[in-house]
Amino acid sequence: MSKQATGTAFGALLRRDFLLAYRRRAELLQPLVFLMVVTTLFPLGVGPSPQLLANIAPGVIWIAALLASVLSLDSLFRSDFEDGTLEQMVLSGQSLALIALARIVAHWLVAGLPIVLLSPLLAMWMNLPDEGLPILIESLVIGTPILSLIGAIGGALTVSLKRGGQLLSLLVFPLYVPLLILATSAVGAAVVDLPYTGQLGLMVSGLIVALTLAPFATAAALKLSLS
Amino acid sequence: MNPIVLFFHKTGSPPWFYRFSGYLIPWLWAIFLVITAIALYLGFFHAPVDYQQGATVRIMYLHVPAAWMSMMIYGLMAIMGFIALVWRIRIMEVLVIASAPVGAAFTMMALMTGSLWGRPMWGTYWVWDARLTSELVLLFLYFGVIALYNSFDEPRKAARAASLMSIVGAINLPIIYFSVEWWNTLHQGSSFGGDGPGIHPDMLLPLLLMAISTKFFYGANLLSRARLILLKQDHRKRWVQDLLSQEKH
Amino acid sequence: MSYTPFIMAAYLLSTAVLLWAALAPVIKKRSLLRQLKARQQRMDKTQ
Repeated sequence: MSKQATGTAFGALLRRDFLLAYRRRAELLQPLVFLMVVTTLFPLGVGPSPQLLANIAPGVIWIAALLASVLSLDSLFRSDFEDGTLEQMVLSGQSLALIALARIVAHWLVAGLPIVLLSPLLAMWMNLPDEGLPILIESLVIGTPILSLIGAIGGALTVSLKRGGQLLSLLVFPLYVPLLILATSAVGAAVVDLPYTGQLGLMVSGLIVALTLAPFATAAALKLSLS
Repeated sequence: MNPIVLFFHKTGSPPWFYRFSGYLIPWLWAIFLVITAIALYLGFFHAPVDYQQGATVRIMYLHVPAAWMSMMIYGLMAIMGFIALVWRIRIMEVLVIASAPVGAAFTMMALMTGSLWGRPMWGTYWVWDARLTSELVLLFLYFGVIALYNSFDEPRKAARAASLMSIVGAINLPIIYFSVEWWNTLHQGSSFGGDGPGIHPDMLLPLLLMAISTKFFYGANLLSRARLILLKQDHRKRWVQDLLSQEKH
Repeated sequence: MSYTPFIMAAYLLSTAVLLWAALAPVIKKRSLLRQLKARQQRMDKTQ
């Protein structure tokens, strides 16, 4: 397979994913509205005390981001699986890992990046102190791609199952735990002026590992689901 | 036949509605712009300037009418939705769907202006008080109705589902408001100062004028969106084909 | 604290939101009419 062919295949896949996403843009807004609604439920559930909200803000925002991500992951491969496109992709002979990566990149741009962009609004609602906001954004910029990468493995494993969505959450939430711990620890530390670069550094290395390994795991999972 | 009844019968015909609203819309926009201009002129140049509340009350001219509209439109959606469901009147279905984005826009406007009013007046962009929280929940209700409508393939079914949802939401809205208010008193949350120490009459007139002008905005925008929906749904029908061949641009 | 930036921001945002709400159907209608006309022309050609 020539390098050029691979490159253009990647580009073509990305373009297709964006076109599909644009056509379904009403659907794509749903996880984001979900993100906002879930965040709103927390003050209503625990009371509007500004100090309490500020304390739980990093955790609440990150949990809301996890939940919103899982919502958008379920449909990652589903429609292509159902209409046979996925099978064609597997048979095409192009590197399946690359195809998976293209899908993951598109997913992050369409589902993960908006979470990053919405985070200042969520931070305002949860009363996050100003010192925490830049770190929150950084943690989301590093973390949401990891959510897409790991989530894609789960999405690929459950795509052929009827109630795949529920199982998907069950599968990926434990995998997300280290990410959640590191991210909220970083933001919490930044708020009280403690060092946070260690946590962010670990997250970056996690991202690199996920970037190199997840596409292959996803490809294997897709082949499994199609067999 | 009674002219009023005749009028209502005519609105049921899409090409008639399309033509009629086409005549009405420019007038509605004109009235909106004129009344808004008068209201803002009075508000900015007529009302007292060095009065403590004077400066930020100018945000109130936007915030309060927007909040009123956000609630009125949702209520109208519920009423029209009820009519649409019970009597299966298509134009009502169309008006319900056309209203939702306008209502959502006013709700967003109310939230943003409320936030910008809160910062200089009470020191914070956001506080979980009864009104702001209920307004935010109202925004989510609007999003829900719009999302529900967009998920169906068949437009009339979609409109009926959205109508049902808006009725349910409208019934819930007072309950939500009172529960949030109660929650607020429980936690002794701070509140965005109510109406302040009474509104100076010089400020009341611009406010009322804005309240009136926003209704004309709603009318114009509603009809504009309703026409689009009718065009889209009826694009295969004769009246749309005739329209296309008549239009020069 | 100067109120001016807040007042200006409030008016600017409100204008933006209302302008979007007002223009969205106009833009969509133009594009819809263009699409329908194009389709009609194509059908007339095959007639």
